[in-house]
Amino acid sequence: MPRDPIDSQAVFLAVYQEITRLVSMVHDPQSVMTLVVDRLPGLLDVDAATIRLLDRQTNQFVIGAAHGLSEEYLARKRIDSSTVMSELLKGRPMERSALPVHIDRETREEASREGIENVLSLPIMYQAEVIGLLRLLTRKKRMFSGAEVAFAMSLAEQVGIAISNSRMYQELAQQIDYLTELRDISRIVHSTLDLNEVLGSIVEKLSSVMKVQGCTIRLQNLATNQLELVAAAGLSDDYLNRSSTGREDTIFAALQGEPVAVYDAVSDPRIHDHDAIRAEGIQSLLAVPIRNKLEIIGVLRLLSRQPRTFSPAEINFVVTAAEEGGNAIQKARTYRQITLLFNQIEENERFLQTIMDSLWLQLIVLSSDRRVVMVNREFLEQNRLREEAVIGRDYYEISPWSKAAGTGCPIDHILAHGSPVALQDEIEMKGRRCWFERHLTPVVDDQGQVEFIIEAAQDITDLKLLERERLARTKLQGVLEMAGTTAHKLNSPLFAALGMAQLLQEDLASTKAADDLAMIVKNLEHIKELTREMVSATGFERRNYVGATNIVELKW
Amino acid sequence: MMLPIFNLIHHLKTEKMAEILVLDDVFDAVLLIRKILERKGHTLHTFTEEEEALAFASAQPLDLAILDIKLKKMSGIQVLEKLRQINAGIKAIMLTGYPTIETARQALELGAAAYCVKPIDKQELEEKVEQVLNG
Repeated sequence: MPRDPIDSQAVFLAVYQEITRLVSMVHDPQSVMTLVVDRLPGLLDVDAATIRLLDRQTNQFVIGAAHGLSEEYLARKRIDSSTVMSELLKGRPMERSALPVHIDRETREEASREGIENVLSLPIMYQAEVIGLLRLLTRKKRMFSGAEVAFAMSLAEQVGIAISNSRMYQELAQQIDYLTELRDISRIVHSTLDLNEVLGSIVEKLSSVMKVQGCTIRLQNLATNQLELVAAAGLSDDYLNRSSTGREDTIFAALQGEPVAVYDAVSDPRIHDHDAIRAEGIQSLLAVPIRNKLEIIGVLRLLSRQPRTFSPAEINFVVTAAEEGGNAIQKARTYRQITLLFNQIEENERFLQTIMDSLWLQLIVLSSDRRVVMVNREFLEQNRLREEAVIGRDYYEISPWSKAAGTGCPIDHILAHGSPVALQDEIEMKGRRCWFERHLTPVVDDQGQVEFIIEAAQDITDLKLLERERLARTKLQGVLEMAGTTAHKLNSPLFAALGMAQLLQEDLASTKAADDLAMIVKNLEHIKELTREMVSATGFERRNYVGATNIVELKW
Repeated sequence: MMLPIFNLIHHLKTEKMAEILVLDDVFDAVLLIRKILERKGHTLHTFTEEEEALAFASAQPLDLAILDIKLKKMSGIQVLEKLRQINAGIKAIMLTGYPTIETARQALELGAAAYCVKPIDKQELEEKVEQVLNG
């Protein structure tokens, strides 16, 4: 029965006030929508109400809240005929019978099964844009008056404002939450320089904050220019170990710097491996670039097992978090590289020290200010010193064979001329004469300045003594050979002289001449004994003769 | 006291006269050996050149060679080796003013009967020669 216009206006005003009051009390869009669809049927004398919101990414109206309708009806593919939808998208309300003859059979059958007779569809507008649909449905034939339609439009507008306001409110609240989370993520990822810990923190934290089931990080390997999975949370090994990720459009787009949100990952053409996605139960995903300053170093993906539309605020948050992570990742990578380099330097230093310690030479490395910067084990052992007592000390305090700075100091010479020096030193050590062979070599920097001096010293005392002994033996050998040769040369004439004298001795009749000859023979025989001694001599002893002249006594 | 005639008979009975080659680069040494051993009744052939000595040894039968080790062109050891090739039965006494183990070993290996060091005494030389000739 038609209402009195004044009564109707009073009812409209009461309903309007009620809806306005209610929607102003909640800040959650879902609550606003639920409240509206729950209360409107009673207030406007309809059987059911639905609110659908426009998903800008898919350009589809997805159900936001519903009252008085079956799940089956709500899940139908088409909302209404294309004519109706076209009018709604233009911002115009449409009221019609649910079962007109000209609409398609499927839509008519779905409405018939649900018992729907009349539908009033209203665009939900916000700032002259359609953001959703409000549909009022009746199971009995009913015509909506122009006033009712205008009133419903006003309500829809209020709903649009309420939804948008609550969205904004929620987004602001979310932004605050995200700022808090971002600060938290930043604190966590910058609290360590361990790359694996940084990566693990990012995937765990983002999964939790964004309420998604999985998160992965893939970083570009600079050597191969390939993306490599470096961290993951909430995903199976089968899914993670699939091989086709690098060619996916979402990854490719993220590597170009664009975040990519995919609502329907199971069928979206930008995703290649639908089987793996389906097997893992993933419905939606978000891929964002990981940046370090301007450079993109990898891709972060969030994977949801519920269908999900990622809002611009959420995407912005994830992009920011990924950038923050990117900086921390790069810092940790740099730290790892520095650590590796440091370890390598340490290893090289150990290797160098091992080589130095394996030498029998005594080694000292000096800085240009004559301070000891390195010594080898041989040096420490030979001089009974400890390394800590040597390093940093002045060269002249440490070196056992050094001369003080000034005349003849090889260090001064090297620092002045930059050329190496080799010398032999004879020094008194522990009460004995010692000889050292020393090689001092400069290490010159790019500017030609002496940066270090390496001194290698070898105790050549034994060598020197051996050399002296060999020289003495050579001299002795020469003396003995000369003695032998002299004796040999003497032997033949002596043999002739002695023999002849002996023959003459036999022939002589005169006693006096025979006595004289006997003296000659005796002295010749004495010479003979001397030459035998010279031939068979093996050594001699030096004896002082007169003044500076020495004579030798032969030994055999 | 034995009469001179008996001395001669005794000498002829106990001493064997020999053909002896002497080779030394010092002429006076060669001359001395000749004088000493000729007094003993031996026939001496003296040389200061190796080739001449070897040529003589090839032409004449010899009982003994007295060789100095240091010669002009060859060593006494080399000459002994050649003499052995010419006359395998020849006896030899080596003389040297500079004895060494090496030359002594080589001389004995080539069959030298004695290795004497100069200056050798007259009596020692006479005894060595008699000893070698009768050995």
